[in-house]
Amino acid sequence: MNGTTAMTPARGTRSMLGTREVRGTLALSRLEMLRVLRNKQYLIFTLAFPVVFYLAIGKQARGVSVYGVPFAAFYMVAMATWSALSGALNGNAQRISQERKDGWIRQLRLTSLPASGYVAAKVIASMVTTVPSIVIVLALGHFYGGVHMAGWKWAVVGAAAWLGAMTFAALAVAIGYKFLPDRAQPLALLVYFGMSILGGLWFPLSGVLGTIGKALPTYQVTRIGAGVLAAGSVSVTAVAVILAWLAGFVVLAALAVRSTAEKV
Amino acid sequence: MSQEGTGAGGAASAPVVSFENVTKCYGKLRAVDGLSLELRAGETVALLGPNGAGKSTSLDMLLALRKPTRGRIRMFGSDSYHAVKSGRVGAMLQSGGLMPEVTVRELITLVAGFHQRPLPVQQTLRRAGIAGIADQRVDKLSGGQTQRVRFALAIVGECDLLVLDEPTTALDVESRQMFWANMKTEVAEGRTLLFATHYLEEADQAADRILVINKGRLLADGTPAEIKQRAGAKRISFRLDRVDEAFLLGLPALVNLEIRHDLVQIQSSDSDRTLYALLDAGYRPREIEVSSLGLEQAFLAITAEDNGENAPARPGSAEAMETIR
Repeated sequence: MNGTTAMTPARGTRSMLGTREVRGTLALSRLEMLRVLRNKQYLIFTLAFPVVFYLAIGKQARGVSVYGVPFAAFYMVAMATWSALSGALNGNAQRISQERKDGWIRQLRLTSLPASGYVAAKVIASMVTTVPSIVIVLALGHFYGGVHMAGWKWAVVGAAAWLGAMTFAALAVAIGYKFLPDRAQPLALLVYFGMSILGGLWFPLSGVLGTIGKALPTYQVTRIGAGVLAAGSVSVTAVAVILAWLAGFVVLAALAVRSTAEKV
Repeated sequence: MSQEGTGAGGAASAPVVSFENVTKCYGKLRAVDGLSLELRAGETVALLGPNGAGKSTSLDMLLALRKPTRGRIRMFGSDSYHAVKSGRVGAMLQSGGLMPEVTVRELITLVAGFHQRPLPVQQTLRRAGIAGIADQRVDKLSGGQTQRVRFALAIVGECDLLVLDEPTTALDVESRQMFWANMKTEVAEGRTLLFATHYLEEADQAADRILVINKGRLLADGTPAEIKQRAGAKRISFRLDRVDEAFLLGLPALVNLEIRHDLVQIQSSDSDRTLYALLDAGYRPREIEVSSLGLEQAFLAITAEDNGENAPARPGSAEAMETIR
C-alpha cells in the first residue's frame, strides 16, 4: 500500500493526460451537457428561436435571392449560424463568469482534474449541444423550406455553422474569465446582437453596415453556406476570416485564463 | 490504512507539510511574512488568527492556488501542486463554490471520478450527512447543507491530509457538534488535519496543536494548554484603594495589567508569585479572585501584544469578540 501511494504523484506528473484525466474531463463535459439540456435558456434561445424565426420568415420572400441563393436557403443557413452563436456564446460566458466568482473553478483546482479540464469540458459541451440545433434548422430548411442539395453540401453547411460555434465558444471563455458576471452578461449580449445583426443573420445588410458586417465570422459562415449552395465551392477567404477570429478568440481566452490563474 | 499518513511521501521523516520562510505580498501589503512551520503525520492542527491575519492566503498557497512571493512550501516531500493533483489532499475552502443545476449525488459522483482512490459515493454521502438530500439540486440547498456538500467534496477519496477552512461556519450548534464527532473518525484513520477556525472552543477541543498567526507571522505554536500558559495562565483581580501603577507593573510574572478606579486586573504566568510579591510589599488588597484564562483570552492577549496594544480588549466583551471574528 505504501509503495503504491508513494509512486502515485510521480506517475501523475509524467502523464497529465492519462486515461483518468481524460475520463474526468469527459465526465465533466457530460454533466455540463446535462446542465445545458435542463436549462430553459437553451431550449428557447438555441432550439426554439431559430425554428420560430424560420417558420415565420423563411418562405416569405419568394423569388428574392440573397448571396446568389433563394431566400429560403439563405435563411436556413443564417438561422443555423444563429443557433450556433447563441448556443456557444450566450449561456456560456455568463456561466463561466459566475462559476469563477462562486469559486467552483477554485474547487475544481483542488481535484485531480487537469488544469485545462474545466475549459475543455465547457467547449466540448458547447460543441455537442449546438449539433442538434444546427441539424434541426437544416432539416427544417429541407422539409419546410424546400432546400435541395447534394449530401456533401449539407455536411459542409453544417460544418461551417459548427466551426462558427467553436469560434464563439472560445469567445465565451475569454469573456467569462475576463469579466465578473455583472459585466460578462451585458457584454455577451452586446456581442450576440452585434454578431447577429451586423453579420446579416436576421436580414441581409447593405451599405456601410453591410461592409462592416463582412468582417464578422457570422457573415462569413453564412457566405460559406450560400457559396456551397450556389457555386458548389467553399470560399477560401471566408474560411480564413473565420479561422482568424477563432485564433484571436483562443489567444484572448488563453490570456484571460492565465491572468486569473491567481485570482480564481 | 492507519499507516498511510506516516509512511507516505517516500521518506518517513518528511513532514506532511512544511513552510520555509514563506512570504506573500499583494503589492505593498505583506499578507504572509516569513512564515515557517511543519505539520507531522497524524496531527490535528488548528490555525487561529483574526481576520486578515493571513490564514486564507496561507491555505491558498498550501493548496497551490497562489504562489508564494518568497520561500518554499512542500507537501509529502514534493511541491504542493503535485501533491494536490495526486489526490493526497482533501480540501474544503470557504471560497469554494459548487456546480449549480446538478443534483448533490451527480456532483459527488463527478468529483469522486476525478480521484485516484475514490470512496463509494453512498459512503461519502453518509459520512457528510447528506444522504437524505442526495437527489436535491445543489443550487436549492440551505447554507448549512451547502457547507456539508463542500465537506463531502473534501472526503470523496482516500486522502492523507485534510485542509478545512472554517468548516463549521453556517452550521448550527448541533450540526457543529455532529461535524466534530464525524471528524474524529476521519482523523482516527491516521489522517493529518489542518483547519482554520474562529471558534476558539473548537480549536481548544479538537486540536492537538494550535498555530496562532497575526499579520502573516506565526505568534505561537503549541498545545492548547501551552498557548494558554504562554499568554499568562491566570487572571488575578482585586480592589486596592491607593493604586501605584508603576509598582504593579514591576510585579513578577505579570503579563498584562488593567486598572479601572480601584479595580485591578492582572494576567500572570505564575499567579502565586505575583500575589506573594504584592502581599510582601505590604499591600492588602480586597476581593481577591484568581481564575484560569480560557483559550479565547489567551488568544486575545497574544494578538493584542503583537498589535502593540498594552491593554487587550476585555475578555467576553463585545469588542473582544469582534477582534476575533
